[in-house]
Amino acid sequence: MNRLVVTLGRLHLKNPILAASGTFGYAREMEGKVDFAKLGGIIPKTVTKRPRIGNPPPRTVETPSGMLNAIGLDNDGIDHFIAHHLPYLKTLPTAIVANIAGKTEDEFLEMAEQIGANAPLPEGEGSGVRGLAGLELNLSCPNVSGGVDFATDPDVARRVVAGARRVCPLPIIAKLTPNVTNIVPIAQAAADAGADAVSLVNTFIGMAIDWKKRRPILGNVTGGLSGPAIKPLALRLVYQVARAVKIPIIGVGGISTIDDVMEFLVAGASAVQIGTANFFDPTVCGRLAEQLPQALEQLGATSVQEVVGQLK
Amino acid sequence: MPDFAQLLAPVLENRRLARDTYLIRLEAPPVARAIRPGQFVMLRLPGSTDPLLGRPFALYDTVICLPSTSGRGVGGEGDTVKPPLPNGRGADIDAPGAIDIVYLVVGKLTGLLSQVQSGEKVEVWGPLGNGFPDPVGQAKHVALVAGGIGQTPFLAHIRELLGERGYGGQVARPRAKRVSLYYGVRTADLAAGVEDFRQAGAEVHLASNDGTLGFHGFVTDLFEQHEPPDHVFGCGPEPMLHALAKIAERKGIPCHLSLETPMACGVGICFSCVTPVRTADGWDYKRVCVEGPVFDAATLHWET
Repeated sequence: MNRLVVTLGRLHLKNPILAASGTFGYAREMEGKVDFAKLGGIIPKTVTKRPRIGNPPPRTVETPSGMLNAIGLDNDGIDHFIAHHLPYLKTLPTAIVANIAGKTEDEFLEMAEQIGANAPLPEGEGSGVRGLAGLELNLSCPNVSGGVDFATDPDVARRVVAGARRVCPLPIIAKLTPNVTNIVPIAQAAADAGADAVSLVNTFIGMAIDWKKRRPILGNVTGGLSGPAIKPLALRLVYQVARAVKIPIIGVGGISTIDDVMEFLVAGASAVQIGTANFFDPTVCGRLAEQLPQALEQLGATSVQEVVGQLK
Repeated sequence: MPDFAQLLAPVLENRRLARDTYLIRLEAPPVARAIRPGQFVMLRLPGSTDPLLGRPFALYDTVICLPSTSGRGVGGEGDTVKPPLPNGRGADIDAPGAIDIVYLVVGKLTGLLSQVQSGEKVEVWGPLGNGFPDPVGQAKHVALVAGGIGQTPFLAHIRELLGERGYGGQVARPRAKRVSLYYGVRTADLAAGVEDFRQAGAEVHLASNDGTLGFHGFVTDLFEQHEPPDHVFGCGPEPMLHALAKIAERKGIPCHLSLETPMACGVGICFSCVTPVRTADGWDYKRVCVEGPVFDAATLHWET
C-alpha cells in the first residue's frame, strides 16, 4: 500500500502535494518543467462563466517575503476551458481538480453542472478517458470588483456548496478566504453542506503604495498577499479549523519547502497546495513530492495520515 | 519545452561594463545549449525571500567553451572555461556551456546581483519566451534599434543574423547580409557592449539624449534618418518602442519588438506580465513571457 495516499472525503490523491489554482496556469505551461505524475494533483486557474479580461497591469508587486496580486481572474470563460483546456488536462497522469468562481450563486451552479459532466464515467464506459477528480469552488477571490465574496457569509457558503453537491457528482472542495473575523463558522457551513474538504486559505487582502507618486502600485489598488510572508497566518487558520470542524483540510499559504509541508500536515491539513512558490521555483512541486517520504520517516510515520493533526 | 532547465549556476565572472551595468557569466550548460537570441532566463538569489521572486534577463550571448583537458567540459576548478572563441566558426554548436547576461542595476535584486562574486551561485531557469523570428525572406539589411538597457538581446541576434553562430542546437546560417544597430542611451557612460556589437559585425550607430555620445537626440530619430532596412527589431522603453512602431508602420518596414515587462514567474503561470494584443474582435491581454517577449509590432494594441 502506498503510504503517501490521502483521502479527502470522496477525493483520493496519490500524495498530498497539489499545485494551487492560479499558480500553475492550465498545466500546459509546466509541461517539460514538472513531472506531473509525481504530483498529488493539479488545480488549474479559476474559470468564470464568461471570459474576463482581467485587471490592468501592474497586476503583481513583490513585497518582503511575498507578493501582492490582482490578476482579476483573467480567463477565457468556462466554454473555452471545457473545449480547449480540459481535453489536455484529462490526459495528465495526476488528479485534476477544476476550479470555478461565479459572480452569482446561479453562475456557480451552472458551472458546477457543466464541470460535473466531466466526471469519470463508470467502469467500462469511458474507454480509458480520464475524468476530473474534483471541483474546487473559489469562494474567495478578492480581486473581482462588484463580485460577492461568497465565503464571508456562512449562509451563502452553505448554499453554494450544497447547490454544487446537488448538480455535480464530483468531490467538492470549498476554498475559503482568510479575510473574515472568524473562519470557523464558514468552514463549518461548508462541512454541513457536504463539502468533501476545505482549502485554507486564499490570499490576504493587502496594498502597496508608491508614496512619492501618492499612488497605489497595483492597477486594482488592492491585491491578495501570498508567499512565505503569510505562512504563519495560514498555519494558524488551518490549526484553528482542524480543532473545530470535522472536515479534511487542504492547507495553502506560503508553502515552499518540505518543512512547510510537514508543518501544515501536523497542524491538521490532510493535503497541501503549493502556490506562489511555483513562481519563484518552478520545479518545486515535484521536488516536494520526492522529499515527502523521507520527512515522514523522520517522524517514524508509515503514512501521511499518521501525522495529520498530530500537534502535541 | 523539453529543453527547460532550472539549476544553481556557478558564477564564472561578474564585472562592470559601464555605469550601473554589469556582465554576469553563469555556468549553465543545459540553458546555454538550448537558448536562442531574444529568449530570456529568470535569475534569483538562492534561498532569498527578499527579494523573493526571480527577474527576467535577456540572453546577451552564449559562451562557447574550448574542450577542457580534463574532459569534464565547463566548470570544476574555475579554469576550465576558456574565453569565447572570437567568432565561433568551426566550434561544435553543442559546446556552449555558459551564458552571459548584461544587466542594469535598477532595484533590490540587481543591486544584490552586482555584489555576487565568482564562485558563488545564482538560481537560473530557462530558456524562456519565443525569441526573435527570422527576418522576412530575402532580407538584405536588418536594423536593430535599442534604447536604455534594450541593447542586451542584440549581441547574440547579430551573430545569428550574420551566420556567425548557431543557437539552440541550430547550425549557423546567414539570415541577413548586413546588420545595423542603432543604440541610444541617456548619457555616454551608460553605453555598454558597443565594442562587442562592432566585433560581431554590426554597423553601430550611437545616440544619446544629452549629446555626450553620437547623435544628440532619440535613437528612433537617428534610425529614421538612415535608409530603411528590410526588417527592423526593437528593444527598449515603451515610448521608444511606440515611436519605432510608428516609423515602421509609416515606412512599411516589418517590425518586431521585444518588450521589457515586469514579470513574476517568467513561465506563463502567474498572468502578471500581460500586454494588450489585437485579436479578431478587439484586443486581449497576452502574457509577454510565453507569447512574447517578441511581438510583431502590428499586433500590439498600444494604449492611448
